[in-house]
Amino acid sequence: MLEGNSDLMVKKPELDLLRTFDAPRRLVFEAWTTAEHLSQWFTPGPLTTSSCEVDFRPGGVFRLTMRMPSGVEFPMDGKFVEIVVPERIVFRAKIHDDNNVETTVTFTETGGKTTVSVHQTFAFESDATRGAHQGWAATLNQLCAHVARS
Amino acid sequence: MNTERLSTTFSALADPTRRAILARLASGDATVLELAKPFDMSLPAISKHLKVLEHAGLISRGRDAQRRPCRIEAAPLKEAHRWMERYRRFWEESFNRLDEYLHEMKRKEKQHARRK
Repeated sequence: MLEGNSDLMVKKPELDLLRTFDAPRRLVFEAWTTAEHLSQWFTPGPLTTSSCEVDFRPGGVFRLTMRMPSGVEFPMDGKFVEIVVPERIVFRAKIHDDNNVETTVTFTETGGKTTVSVHQTFAFESDATRGAHQGWAATLNQLCAHVARS
Repeated sequence: MNTERLSTTFSALADPTRRAILARLASGDATVLELAKPFDMSLPAISKHLKVLEHAGLISRGRDAQRRPCRIEAAPLKEAHRWMERYRRFWEESFNRLDEYLHEMKRKEKQHARRK
């Protein structure tokens, strides 16, 4: 028996989170549509965005490089999969080698405030490639640890 | 953190049957036979899932050669959970920035509207 751990048992290894912003959906959605906007907020502090390339259409690129204060860089190489203005954005990104994360962002507006929901699925290396690389899990570990310390 | 183990844990957890097996084991140890019954699956099919779970360190098997009861192991689950929580923190930091940036976007929009 594992008292108090039952919530962990049946969870899919996926991430879901919600955040409400005091701004109309039109504006919140717009913040995701250009490199100029995204480089202002997408990278969590204290990291900075060293480069950002966004071609906001299905199949278009979404590349962003985050730089740690030490100078170490974390590139993300992504593509937009689906775009429904101003409701939904789906993008798939390679963080390291062939490991992918798919992110679905949904925007809903209530009374002038906008709720953004993020759903992420993680695809680690397949059985065939396992062991070949430490993979992006290691990269993210380092990155997330850095953010958590800040 | 062992990322090799983390990726093994994640792929083991990706399957709904394996998550259901773990949920069942969370309420107590069970044999392969006991596990096969509620899932309406053949013994080889269940055994295959158990091998994946065992390889991921999510379960251990008893030494009793006849029954080999399965037991859930909490450590890799906790590790996977911790890892996800750090990723959540990553988003929260980004969204703090977005929150500030939206204020700026709103302010610029107002200025622009006034100039018209």
